[in-house]
Amino acid sequence: MKEITLIKGLRILLLILICLMCIIPFYVLLVLSLNAPSRVFYEGNLFIPTFAWSNFADAWEKSRIGTAMVNSSVITFGTLGLTILLGGMAGYAIARRYTWYNKAVFSLFIGCMMIPGIINTVPLYSLMRRIHAVNTLWGMILVCSTLALPSAVFIYTTFIRALPRELDEAAEVDGCTGMRAFWQVIFPVLKPATASFVILNGFGIWNNYAQAAFFLQTRDRQNIPQALSVFFQQFGGAKWHLMSATAVIAIVPVVVIFLIFQQQFIEGLTEGAVKG
Amino acid sequence: MRAKRSDYTHLMSLPALGLFCTFFIYPLVRGVGMSMTDWDGMGEATYVGLANFARFFQDPRAMGDIRTTLIFAVGSTLLLNFMGLIYALLMEKPFHGRSLARVIIYLPAIISPLIMGYIWYFLLQPGRGFLYHAMGFLGTTFPLGNWMSDYPTTMAVLIFVNVWQFAGMTMIIYLAGLKGIPVDLKEAAVIDGATSWQRFVRLTLPLLMPAIRINVVTNIIGSLSVFDVIMSLTEGGPGYATESLSIYILRMCYGSRTGYSTAVAMILFFIILLPVLISIRLTKVKE
Repeated sequence: MKEITLIKGLRILLLILICLMCIIPFYVLLVLSLNAPSRVFYEGNLFIPTFAWSNFADAWEKSRIGTAMVNSSVITFGTLGLTILLGGMAGYAIARRYTWYNKAVFSLFIGCMMIPGIINTVPLYSLMRRIHAVNTLWGMILVCSTLALPSAVFIYTTFIRALPRELDEAAEVDGCTGMRAFWQVIFPVLKPATASFVILNGFGIWNNYAQAAFFLQTRDRQNIPQALSVFFQQFGGAKWHLMSATAVIAIVPVVVIFLIFQQQFIEGLTEGAVKG
Repeated sequence: MRAKRSDYTHLMSLPALGLFCTFFIYPLVRGVGMSMTDWDGMGEATYVGLANFARFFQDPRAMGDIRTTLIFAVGSTLLLNFMGLIYALLMEKPFHGRSLARVIIYLPAIISPLIMGYIWYFLLQPGRGFLYHAMGFLGTTFPLGNWMSDYPTTMAVLIFVNVWQFAGMTMIIYLAGLKGIPVDLKEAAVIDGATSWQRFVRLTLPLLMPAIRINVVTNIIGSLSVFDVIMSLTEGGPGYATESLSIYILRMCYGSRTGYSTAVAMILFFIILLPVLISIRLTKVKE
């Protein structure tokens, strides 16, 4: 009995240490962001900052993180909207009309699902330049949508296949097919699939840097990671108070959204893992 | 009743296919041709055969990048799965604050790896980082010293930051796998007198194989194309020591060596192909 409580205590202790290790870097970031610029060597103590709130106003202004946030939002919502629409439609066609070509389309998407975007970014860049899509938000939406599309098609196809056939058969008997059947019968029940798609891809699109480094180079079109990297390089490692304040501003929306939806989020991930 | 002439449902996969072919398949195929030219991104391209590939394998910088990429991928994958599994085993049984712990451990994974790299840069910058000061307060010196000048330590730091950030993700998948192990199997093993180590090796691990495979494959593919965390922590330095292939592709493209950078992308593609093929097989099995 004693041994069991000892092991239990050890387990809890380890978990507390792990959690601390996950939290402390964020806390340090917060401390740095609130330190006065003149406070170089953490005089006196390490864990209590000097509460220089003006860092945030300063950082907001100098880093143009506000513009980047708007851009990131447009890119993320645009991408999610487009992929949900195209992926849902494709999933419907593949699940309900499994003809040879839809079979081929499905295999193509599954085959490319795991190929990272960096592989074709350079030829894609020359294509994007030809259609004047470099440094535009719509261009970035198209790029991100293309990368997220295989995952969307896979999730929607699997989900619609598992829906009872009677659901849309009744509609089809009445001559309701195609987009009408999709909007009226299928789309309303796609919510769980959409949720898991958004959970699996949303933050990745928001955090995208590898593509943004190519396609969003002008200052007024940067997304958040691109804006941060430009801002950081500009100081070459100095002005940590401004850099960390910008980083705090950049991660707050993500953390807040994660905390609000954490229940659905972790459940969604767990389910996604079980289904593969 | 089915497939009436006005029914175009079967064609509803076309928009997705169109977008995907234009922005993914077409560049991919075009890249094959481009990789055999000396194109600089602007002017005329001349066919140079396999010269780009030959040049790649003769370039010490490129060879260093392959080494860095492979060390990073193998090290990250092994440690991510080791830590993720340990986390999951610690978290398996319910306890007070379990869901809070899960949220905390998962939290780093939702943040941009680029930003995460910067945060660790603030902690670990030689001589200036937070941990150096913290150690100074405790009266000791930080054991990593000037880690950025030492290749093995720099690689260890990069792998550590990556594992620190994404161990929560592998943990969630292992937790799901552990949840799927039937309770009566575990009970039967206990009744049969199996020690907890025997139960782990003979029962838990084999039944976790699907979760292990998913994790290993996604971790390998993800870390072979690593970009963000290296950009923010070391920028590929010192020199080009910790540059990954992805960063090399970007820099060659910026350096107007478009043809050459597509050749590098093709090489990275072949490196990634093996784990990708395994992952396709895994998906097929599940269908």
